[in-house]
Amino acid sequence: MSTAMNRRAVLKAGAAFAGTAALAPTTLRAERAAINYWHTFTGQLEFGALTNTVMPMFAKAHPEVSLEQEPIPNSEFMAKMTAAVVSDSKPDTSMLASERFADLHAMGALTDITDRVESWERRGDFDDSRFASVTDSEGRIYGVPAFAFVDWMYYRKDWFEEAGIAPPTTMEEMRAAAIALTDPAKGRYGFGMRGAAGGQHYIGNILESFGSPVQRADGSVGLDRDKAIEAMDWYAGLYTRDKVAPESAPNDGFRQIMEAFKTGQTAMLWHHTGSLRSISEHLELGEEFATLPMPAGPAARVARLGYASHAITNERNADTAWEWLKFWGEPDVAVAFLDATGYFPASTAAANDERIVSNPIYAPAVETLGFGVPHPSFPGYAGWSENVALAAFQQILIGSATAEQAVDEMIAELDRAIN
Amino acid sequence: MEFSSRIDLDRRSGGRWAALNPLTWLGELSETRYWMYLLLLPSAAMLVAVVLYPTLYGFDLSFRQYRLTRPDLGTGYVGLMHYKRILTDAVFWLSLYNTMIWVTLSIVLEFLLGLLAALALHRNLPGTRVFAVMILLPFFLPNVVAGHMWSLMLDSRMGVINDVLVNIGLLDSYKAWFVSPVTAMGTAIIVEAWHSFPFFTLLILAGLKGIPQDLYKAAQIDGASGFSQLRLITLPMLKTVIAAAVILRVIGLVNSPDLLLILTGGGPGRSTQVLSLYAFQTAYRDFNFGYGGALAVVMFLILMIFAWAYIRISKVNRD
Repeated sequence: MSTAMNRRAVLKAGAAFAGTAALAPTTLRAERAAINYWHTFTGQLEFGALTNTVMPMFAKAHPEVSLEQEPIPNSEFMAKMTAAVVSDSKPDTSMLASERFADLHAMGALTDITDRVESWERRGDFDDSRFASVTDSEGRIYGVPAFAFVDWMYYRKDWFEEAGIAPPTTMEEMRAAAIALTDPAKGRYGFGMRGAAGGQHYIGNILESFGSPVQRADGSVGLDRDKAIEAMDWYAGLYTRDKVAPESAPNDGFRQIMEAFKTGQTAMLWHHTGSLRSISEHLELGEEFATLPMPAGPAARVARLGYASHAITNERNADTAWEWLKFWGEPDVAVAFLDATGYFPASTAAANDERIVSNPIYAPAVETLGFGVPHPSFPGYAGWSENVALAAFQQILIGSATAEQAVDEMIAELDRAIN
Repeated sequence: MEFSSRIDLDRRSGGRWAALNPLTWLGELSETRYWMYLLLLPSAAMLVAVVLYPTLYGFDLSFRQYRLTRPDLGTGYVGLMHYKRILTDAVFWLSLYNTMIWVTLSIVLEFLLGLLAALALHRNLPGTRVFAVMILLPFFLPNVVAGHMWSLMLDSRMGVINDVLVNIGLLDSYKAWFVSPVTAMGTAIIVEAWHSFPFFTLLILAGLKGIPQDLYKAAQIDGASGFSQLRLITLPMLKTVIAAAVILRVIGLVNSPDLLLILTGGGPGRSTQVLSLYAFQTAYRDFNFGYGGALAVVMFLILMIFAWAYIRISKVNRD
């Protein structure tokens, strides 16, 4: 028997198919909520820890949530997020570095989660100070701290022992040790100076160590010209006068300073706890290298506690995004992430875990938690430190400006950024 | 109602229905001089949407206060405030100076390499096709990839370039190419020329194919040397192609900060800071879209003036 297919039948079948197709995804979406997550885990180690450790744990705990992660290089993160804010295409949730909070909050990229945090069963696991860098002046909370980057110093233990030098506790001791350990003929330099991208963080630290904070408590320009000149002259002098940093220092970013330390070209390196695993793969921990708290300056001992938080950046899936945010606060997740990356837990309960406090390698980081301070965070700071302070410092390094000229530019441009 | 009956009705109503019929109306319109404007309408609408509106929006932005991190300042008009600041902004003038060096030296190097490569490929020697593909390869690489690749090759600790130069005795030790202002800019220009000279090669090669061979035969009979033929026949005949290629490359070089962003970040100490990089940093690091917009408008005007002056000076539009 043959059945003729007339036009009406085709239209009916087509309408039925279209209706089914339109309903099907809706049904699926209802069963499995999807959120996207922007982060800066672009290193092999940390990206692997996210995708092979944390995300599978989250998938097991929340099978109803589909999480789509998107890695963004750190240097491009703000450009991408700014474009997303302007075009209203923000992700559901995003990593939030503490030094970026002020800018992202000011441009309206973050969602207030105060009520969620206050009623969270794990709120007691976090010291109040952990939330300070993601809380605005009116007490509203915008992020959940996930892990901390604790500034400390890596040093070549074997070189220090060979030269009979005690590990430095002050900047002057550090300078003296760097001079003693520098031997260009052997390709050895005392200090791995970060003069390019990322080096702005240490400029801020040095300024504060010499008694010249960038901003005063009332929000005005805090740079003290004389102290800032002394600070910049001392820091740049390591390269220009003492010649304890490799020739490439003005162009050395993260990759270069890490390579130099790992390949035995530098004796000391300032970075945070996050590099421990990576360095340990090249040098023997405890034998060839060890860690120290950041050295004290003439006015203060400054080490940053850079908390990386997670924030809800789009309210469309806020409830689901909140599940992801608070998942990072689980002690098991925090310790698993520490094991995989060396990134310190932000949760006070997790940081007090026996696996951490009983490990001597982490002792300098635990000590730093006692005196460390967050990065300066106010609207305009990130741009000023990267575009002005770093460029001005580089000018001293290459001899195209004096410390006085560089500091004058820093003060003038900081005033413009704040006002 | 049958169609023939409708026609009858239409006839009875004195052609009123025919006047309302859109097809009839369009038919009549197609007979008039307005028809061409109607046909241009979709393209014009598209141009307004994707070219004119963004350009005017950029101009509008440059007269506004637009700092994403300072919502308290609002987004109102500030007149010529940003343009007045440009006049006294030392970084702007330094960036303009660096841009001129960056663009001029890059164009000269790219043109010379492109011309040499095109002349060599035009000779149709054995293996020309293989060499043509090899010469074009750098141009296929995105700027970002080329930048990272050269950054590693020029690395002062593990870069293969340093290794080669030390092994052949041109250097005593590994050199940090991006530390001195002169070598930083020079090295970046060489990388840029390596990446973009195939653009000149392609256009010049296409131009060479269009030059009548009779001219060269006549010149040879008159005893003209190879260099004279290049100077008196090839280059004048390629004038239009070269002018177009130069204008396109200048626009590309002035507007693209990506290679310098990766290689030097504008450093050391702003020695490789160019206008496009400064505008990018102003908008995406300072979040000051108003001032960034003003910088972009100034770049736009500089390019317009350059293109106009270059066409007039090269007299290319008289050919």
